[in-house]
Amino acid sequence: MAFVSEDAEMSRVPPRPAEPQLFAGYLDPRRPHADAYDEMFDPVDGVRTAYKRLHDSLSPLQPADLTTRSEALDRALVDQGITFSLSGQERPFPLDLVPRVITASEWARLERGIVQRVRGLEAFLADIYGDQQIVKDGVLPRRLITSCEHFHRQAAGIVPPNGVRIHVAGIDVVRDEQGDFRVLEDNLRSPSGVSYVMENRRTMARVFPDLFAKHRVRPVGDYAVHLLRSLRAAAPPGATDPNVVVLTPGVFNSAYFEHSLLARQMGVELVEGRDLFARNNVIYLRTTEGEQRVDVIYRRIDDEFLDPVHFEPDSVLGVAGLVNAARAGNLVIANAIGNGVGDDKLVYTYLPEILKYYLGEAPLLPNVDTYRCWLPAEHDEVLDRLDELVTKPVEGSGGYGIVFGPDASPKELQAQRRRIKANPRGWIAQPVVQLSTVPTKVGGRLKPRHVDLRPFAVNDGDSVFVLPGGLTRVAIPEGSLIVNSSQGGGSKDTWVLAPRASAAVSELSGPGLGVTSEEASTPERGPELNIAQQQQQ
Amino acid sequence: MRWRLRVVHTTGYRYDGPVAQSYNEARLTPRSDDRQNLMVARLETVPATRAYKYTDYWGTEVNAFDLFTPHTELKVVASSVVETTGQPLPAVDASWNDVRSSESVDLYAEYLEWTSYVPKHRELTAVARGLRKGRTPQETVLAVSKWVHDTLKYQRGTTGVHSSAIDAWQAGEGVCQDYAHLTLAMLRAVGIPSRYVSGYLHTKPNAAVGETVVGESHAWIEAWTGEWWGFDPTNDLPIAHRHVWVATGRDYADVSPLKGIYSGGAATAIEVTVDMTRLA
Amino acid sequence: MLARNAESLYWIGRYVERADDTARILDVSVHQLLEDASVDADTASRTLLHVLGINPPDGAPLDVWGLTELVAMSPETGSIISSISSARENTRVAREVVSSELWECINATYNAVPERQRAARRMGPHGFLSFVEDRAATFAGLADSTMSRDDGWRFLVLGRSVERVDMIVRLLMSRVGDKPTSPGWVTVLRSAGAHDTYLRTYRGALDASRVVQFLLLDRLFPRSAFHALLQAEACLEELDRGPAARIGTGAEASRLLGKARSDLEFLRPAELLDNLTGRLQALQTTVREVGEAVSRQYFHTVPWIEWNNAEVNL
Repeated sequence: MAFVSEDAEMSRVPPRPAEPQLFAGYLDPRRPHADAYDEMFDPVDGVRTAYKRLHDSLSPLQPADLTTRSEALDRALVDQGITFSLSGQERPFPLDLVPRVITASEWARLERGIVQRVRGLEAFLADIYGDQQIVKDGVLPRRLITSCEHFHRQAAGIVPPNGVRIHVAGIDVVRDEQGDFRVLEDNLRSPSGVSYVMENRRTMARVFPDLFAKHRVRPVGDYAVHLLRSLRAAAPPGATDPNVVVLTPGVFNSAYFEHSLLARQMGVELVEGRDLFARNNVIYLRTTEGEQRVDVIYRRIDDEFLDPVHFEPDSVLGVAGLVNAARAGNLVIANAIGNGVGDDKLVYTYLPEILKYYLGEAPLLPNVDTYRCWLPAEHDEVLDRLDELVTKPVEGSGGYGIVFGPDASPKELQAQRRRIKANPRGWIAQPVVQLSTVPTKVGGRLKPRHVDLRPFAVNDGDSVFVLPGGLTRVAIPEGSLIVNSSQGGGSKDTWVLAPRASAAVSELSGPGLGVTSEEASTPERGPELNIAQQQQQ
Repeated sequence: MRWRLRVVHTTGYRYDGPVAQSYNEARLTPRSDDRQNLMVARLETVPATRAYKYTDYWGTEVNAFDLFTPHTELKVVASSVVETTGQPLPAVDASWNDVRSSESVDLYAEYLEWTSYVPKHRELTAVARGLRKGRTPQETVLAVSKWVHDTLKYQRGTTGVHSSAIDAWQAGEGVCQDYAHLTLAMLRAVGIPSRYVSGYLHTKPNAAVGETVVGESHAWIEAWTGEWWGFDPTNDLPIAHRHVWVATGRDYADVSPLKGIYSGGAATAIEVTVDMTRLA
Repeated sequence: MLARNAESLYWIGRYVERADDTARILDVSVHQLLEDASVDADTASRTLLHVLGINPPDGAPLDVWGLTELVAMSPETGSIISSISSARENTRVAREVVSSELWECINATYNAVPERQRAARRMGPHGFLSFVEDRAATFAGLADSTMSRDDGWRFLVLGRSVERVDMIVRLLMSRVGDKPTSPGWVTVLRSAGAHDTYLRTYRGALDASRVVQFLLLDRLFPRSAFHALLQAEACLEELDRGPAARIGTGAEASRLLGKARSDLEFLRPAELLDNLTGRLQALQTTVREVGEAVSRQYFHTVPWIEWNNAEVNL
């Protein structure tokens, strides 16, 4: 796959027009959600510092250039097989041309907040599947835990050897109208999307080499190194050279591409349930040379399908005996079973109490204000203001079941009212957060579109590593605030800028292995006819 | 009165075709508490297996065992010796306010939940409310148990392991499991935390020492009215030395004595016996 | 290596080779049909379909276009397109054991098929067929330069070699009815990409006996059945490292291959044409049995287990 370098084109910039064509009418005050924070433009001061260089590189481009690059981008994605399945169809993962930029200081704050959250939730899960001290101390209602759909009693008493349950977390954050980051939800089960973070970067570097040359963007390519380190660190004590595998539901799963990419980058086997079996609480892999013991399973199968002995008996995806192998200490399942109790959206509302109880700290990243429908007072307020709030099921992802009050018809609101009354524990409500906007290619122009961000954190037991960047999802339809890819959203490459003069530059490079030889050796050549010989022929 | 009992519970399965693999969990080991003392317990299987023991969320001792050699029959023998006594009605009889206080509701939330075995039912709730009138929580437990005892006719074969309280109630008959579920459905309807108990019942009140009788797998309930106490709605009896308890949970699903999965032909239970011998 | 992945690699090898060889056979047959008006298109097409194991349709007589549709474009097993998509499916499920370059090669081939197909329907099959041959060559080159010589590579080459024997046999089967001097034998050589090499080896003398000899027995030509058997055998030998490998040939697949190879090796060239059909059929049977034996020995894949709930009414 060869791309024509477009550096040449970039350098012969036509005289700059008065208003860059691409951004024409960008900050139209009549646009929907005009109060949202635009990450490139300040309504008063113009282009924000973080985006200055990006803006300067983009503005001279003609709409036709944009289209050419966008086509190259799509082709690159399809040829590399970077796709996701939607209703059984493989589609290229939609990547927008314009990257999203986060400054070093913004990122530092965000990173600290995420690390704090992961540490707090680790302590919470360890407690919940152990003594439940937080409940005994009356900090959280017991009912909050026992009514969680993903509180899996089967996991009670399973203690991971290095204490880690959240090997990978995806913390969804948004920027509110003031531009402050707030956490929208935690994903502690099998958060997906990190493969797109890596592939988006690789693809952007192919198509926009010139932009990278002008920015110092922190790399995301070494994610798999961190993941593998965390998984190996989690292994049972006896395993000197732990055998790690990635367990996928199979090729028809929507995130199969990611499972395969992670296995390849970690250099471990990607297995399906049928490749594994349990005997006497030890898990083995079927190989061409016979059985091979498995120590750590990075699984991308939901708890409910993991082990037919303890969960759905008709699951064909899982491995019978997995749960007891973990209980017996012969296997580590990553992420741990039952983590869903930590990312329940009602538990989320208690995060400040949880952080205070375990860490003695106030949250560094605020939640989005949330009403709990199971508390009678808040329940009534939600029902009164149903038409202005966003109501969400406490469980589930992908944007399913969410009702946007302002957009809903009276009939939909009525149905929602009934659902909430029937199961108050099942619902929370939030004011409509006007997610921040970033310039996004729509037709031949750049328009403000709403985005969120899912940074990924990896816990190896000693430290929590947060991949600089994360998956920025963007809602393509004008005014839409729903960014899920299952709802037709797109994505953006997310650039975390390296701090000025920092060690971060050398994250991927180090001192060289050797000294470059002074004397370049010329490649050898075979016998050739010299000019005289050629002429005589 | 204190009895020492030996319980030998044998379950035999036969499969249509050879079974290559099977993974099982047995919840058959009696527990110890102030009414009952477990002295020894053993689990054996044919073909022989190596059991892995653990204690589950509900505090029940679980024996997990797997088979990898093809077999067409499986026999599980759980034997134990326990000492039992009777249990007087608790002296504490909490008020309705205590039972329904937000503390108890939170603490015993799991035992007030509706499940597929113990579903909510409007008509049944009305009956339960009727029985509650003018009674303390403890009296209500007794009254509901009596009502269930009088309403259902003990009959095997009408209901199965997956029948709910409502199924049994509508059929008008059932076995101990159904009596217990129906009682739970009504107690939870009036807000009394209550749980399912699985165990064994010695069937002869005046058995001689050394006499072996045919016992049965049994189920009854426990309710919280200031403290936990048990009652046997199937026989409308307080829990006494003839009852040996094994496990408690929200319903049958939490305590099912023998469950597992296997690959191969359909299974039939060919032998289920509970031999109980009074030793002292 | 993971048994399921080994199986995928083996089948990637087979499907790519099958797509390649089928394209070559079809390409040459189409040429012959177009160039030689004396050939009865329908009969020739049906013979070819039979040899390739594709069910010929009843009814209308077949011509070049109908033949191309069936052999190249139909989704039926054995067609070029079905081989390409099967190769791609197998690569997709084994992506972590093939290099990214190989995956991109197969995936891009698969993605380009519809466009090439449209072009072929407009302008004739040659462009499509040479596209397939080119992509197969690219695949082979990338496999050669990007895959470690580990067990994965051996399963890939094993699959390719086994398929190659099978396809050579099919190719010869399509001509067994021809007269020894029939010009059809040239097409056989062309299909196998062996025409030039043959001419250099035998100095232009063309007759059936030598053609068969060359394609079955030549030790140096990589598409001869002998060479492919030798290669398959070598792969199995390297894969078979168990303790049983020390005495005789413990593994059934090695034994079958060795036997087939030595049958060819020690055959008097003069006897080659006696009962050629029987010999080819035997070879084809061997290929099938080798496939089964390899699968038994290495691909301990199990179907999804259907679990039954052991809870029964007491």
